[in-house]
Amino acid sequence: MSIVKAGNIRKGMYLLHKDQPYYVTHTDFMSPGKGSAFMRVKYRNVITGNTEEFTYKSSESVEEAEIQSTQMQFLYVDGSDSVFMDNNTYEQVEIPTVMLEDKQGLLTPDIQVYVMFYNGKALGVSLPPKVRLKVTYAEEATAGNTQGQARKMVTLETGLEISAPIFVKEGDTLVIDTDTVSYVSRAN
Amino acid sequence: MKTWQKLAVSNAAIRPFKIRETVLDTIRSFFKKEGFLEVETPLLCENPGTEPYLEVFKTTLKAQNFSDRPGFLVTSPELFMKKLLAAGVGSCFQICKSFRNEEGVSAFHNHEFTILEWYHVDADYTDVMTDCENLLLRILRTVSGDETAIILTYQGKEYDLSPGWERISVAEAFKKYANVDIDELLTEESLLKIGQEKGYSVTETTDWEEIYNQIFLNEIEPNLGKAKPTIIYEYPASQAALSKRKESDPRFAERFEFYIGGLELGNAFSELTDSDEQRARMQEDLEMRKKMDKYSYTLDEDFFTALKMGLPRTGGIAVGVDRLVMLFADVASVRETLFFPINEVFDFSVTESDKK
Repeated sequence: MSIVKAGNIRKGMYLLHKDQPYYVTHTDFMSPGKGSAFMRVKYRNVITGNTEEFTYKSSESVEEAEIQSTQMQFLYVDGSDSVFMDNNTYEQVEIPTVMLEDKQGLLTPDIQVYVMFYNGKALGVSLPPKVRLKVTYAEEATAGNTQGQARKMVTLETGLEISAPIFVKEGDTLVIDTDTVSYVSRAN
Repeated sequence: MKTWQKLAVSNAAIRPFKIRETVLDTIRSFFKKEGFLEVETPLLCENPGTEPYLEVFKTTLKAQNFSDRPGFLVTSPELFMKKLLAAGVGSCFQICKSFRNEEGVSAFHNHEFTILEWYHVDADYTDVMTDCENLLLRILRTVSGDETAIILTYQGKEYDLSPGWERISVAEAFKKYANVDIDELLTEESLLKIGQEKGYSVTETTDWEEIYNQIFLNEIEPNLGKAKPTIIYEYPASQAALSKRKESDPRFAERFEFYIGGLELGNAFSELTDSDEQRARMQEDLEMRKKMDKYSYTLDEDFFTALKMGLPRTGGIAVGVDRLVMLFADVASVRETLFFPINEVFDFSVTESDKK
């Protein structure tokens, strides 16, 4: 069992709150001036999928949820679930796609990810810091809109739409930051 | 891409900053029309405010022929402005930078921020409530260019800014949203017990203030300012160091805050004018600062001289200008209202462990 001071809670942590495991999506440290310091945490209950908010005293101790992770390959989406497979045991697990949040648009069928488990139940994935995705649609840049429009929306092979520089063309492979889900560079 | 670099590539990026200019212009014209004097007071001082939970920025003042002495950046211009009130300048306002150290880097905080303070003489906190209603409506109408506008749209939600904002006392709010009675609220023992029953962490070191604020932040604040702004007023006296106590019930102080969409925008008082009581409260604050290992400094004797000279009956308020701009520009973060937000001035991507 590991304990974290609420003031040190960070996005991406798994916490226990009222005996339920939560995945932290956002934190705000608050020192309102009229009182001691607090940590406002937005997190998702990984059992129910509900997003909740709770404000901790920054000095209080919070228990981290014990999460195991296993490297697995993404296979496909089946209805509302995404399916992953352990390449050593061929064991497959399903995770409700809603739990993957913005990560879903980064998953290609060959990608290796870490699948997170709590009490044997798969809850979410952790991606490599950067992934490569092919551009399947990009509007032609026209000379007229370069002023003040140096970026445009492009569609990637997973269906994800992101903002990219105007020179990006259909067929390009892009490097995407998986934390911010944003364009980093063209591959090569 | 940094904010200033975005300006080079996008025509739209300047929009929040144009609104910032309009908001600042409108605040100035609003108060000048009401006959308030615009003042400027120091940002660098020797005796900053004593709020125990705020940390100051410390530097050193070096002057020829004098020994070095500590200098501090103000956390608000309040003490200087009150000296001017004692001197008889009448109602006055100021828009200036203030500095608060140890803040989180968040959507709603910047260590260096723009504050609006105004002091309305021959008035109390209820008059300042009216000032707030009129000021925000004026800004809305100027920014929108529509003299009949009453609706502020912020992040897809609508707020009716027409005067007649929701008003609820702290005691009423604790009853309504947290089911805590006034007597339970004001006694440490009963509030800690309630906190524990509600599932908050209560240990031997947990005090009244922590549970009061934790209930406020978790159960009350999210309900404030939902369809129209909310004025929440009359705070427990311990939560209002510079504020006058309510005559009819001295357990509470004449302080209010106003909220839109769960976000605090301003903090107001009927100003405490009793020099002895003020000194006692500030002395207590300094003791508390010592306990919490914050910078220590001495009290501003000039300020007590001013209070002894006599402060007129005054209602005063501090409003976060960056948050106001954020609302009227309909952007999600105060960072988007600043050309150079703190995380683009300091490089937070380099941490201590990277340097080693």
